[in-house]
Amino acid sequence: MKILENLKKAFESSFGDVFTNNTFKLFDFSKTINNFIEKDGEKLLINLDKANPEEKQNFKKVLDDSIQNDNEGFLTTKNVIKTKQIKRNLPRQKDEELLNFYKDKISEDIYRAFELSLIVRNAFNSGEDISELKRDIYLKFPKFGNNVCNLTTSDYFDYYFSELHKIMSEENNFDIEKYKKEVDRIARELPYMVFINRYKSLEEFEGEVKFKLSKLRKYGTDKLKLHAIGRDNVEKAFRISENYKYDSEITLENEVNLNKTIATIIFKF
Amino acid sequence: MKIGNLVFNEETKGNILDLYGKTTDEEGFIVEKENQKQRVLTPKGEEIHINEWAGIVRGSEAFIKSDAFSLMELAKKIDEDP
Repeated sequence: MKILENLKKAFESSFGDVFTNNTFKLFDFSKTINNFIEKDGEKLLINLDKANPEEKQNFKKVLDDSIQNDNEGFLTTKNVIKTKQIKRNLPRQKDEELLNFYKDKISEDIYRAFELSLIVRNAFNSGEDISELKRDIYLKFPKFGNNVCNLTTSDYFDYYFSELHKIMSEENNFDIEKYKKEVDRIARELPYMVFINRYKSLEEFEGEVKFKLSKLRKYGTDKLKLHAIGRDNVEKAFRISENYKYDSEITLENEVNLNKTIATIIFKF
Repeated sequence: MKIGNLVFNEETKGNILDLYGKTTDEEGFIVEKENQKQRVLTPKGEEIHINEWAGIVRGSEAFIKSDAFSLMELAKKIDEDP
């Protein structure tokens, strides 16, 4: 490594025994050693507290050379581990196709949350700890970060949102901004949503809606939304809402497109 | 870019900052030692709290943050293992 050669040149006269016949794989800053430079197996340990001003400046020059000219990243141990985890799980192949598809179709913030969520999905599928990555998504985007992560790991970007785009884009007055707004709305309102699809029966969805209504009421929320795409699913959603037509505590509002292929039914209570 | 060859720990952050002429202000944000009202910014223009500081990469003393979004951009630049 070039940094080793540079360190030898800078400090061999003072610390020659450290560098003699040694190759080092890791340069670690430590407060636990008694000298400025010591070796520990294949590690070179540096304690800046023990360096005089001239040694510090010489060392900084060697460090800068390594960072700027050898393009070495100088990170904390913890962040080396975190960056390597992210690197291992970067989107590839199918994920990259998804990212290309959504690049100009969703807002920049949702796109960024989605990109990192793909990394979370890959890490999760490999059995890795994802708690810190998920936390970072939430902290950056508190209003929808968690939701985008959940939507990603549940494959909604693989199927649902692309299907939604296909249906919306077939309409005469289609504008990509409408689609962006719709994805944004879903990402923000996910906790209040039930997505109707063909994988569960009408009865199962009726049960899910009943359960979610009672939960939302308990937590003081005042709405639930059924979201459906495709004619059969839209019909299913309307049949579910029929159960609440005469419920005095619930007001229903329907948002449905002309072709009846996209519907949002809002339960207000 | 390579990572993992040059590392430091949380307890030596102060030493590294000092080496680069930086310190922290009363709120814990990294500032220039010579002008402690001037907070150090990431390449994206963000202030950096000492607890959120991940390290230094190539650039004009490019200080980077430890959140996953910042590290994701870094990860994309890492050389593949030979």
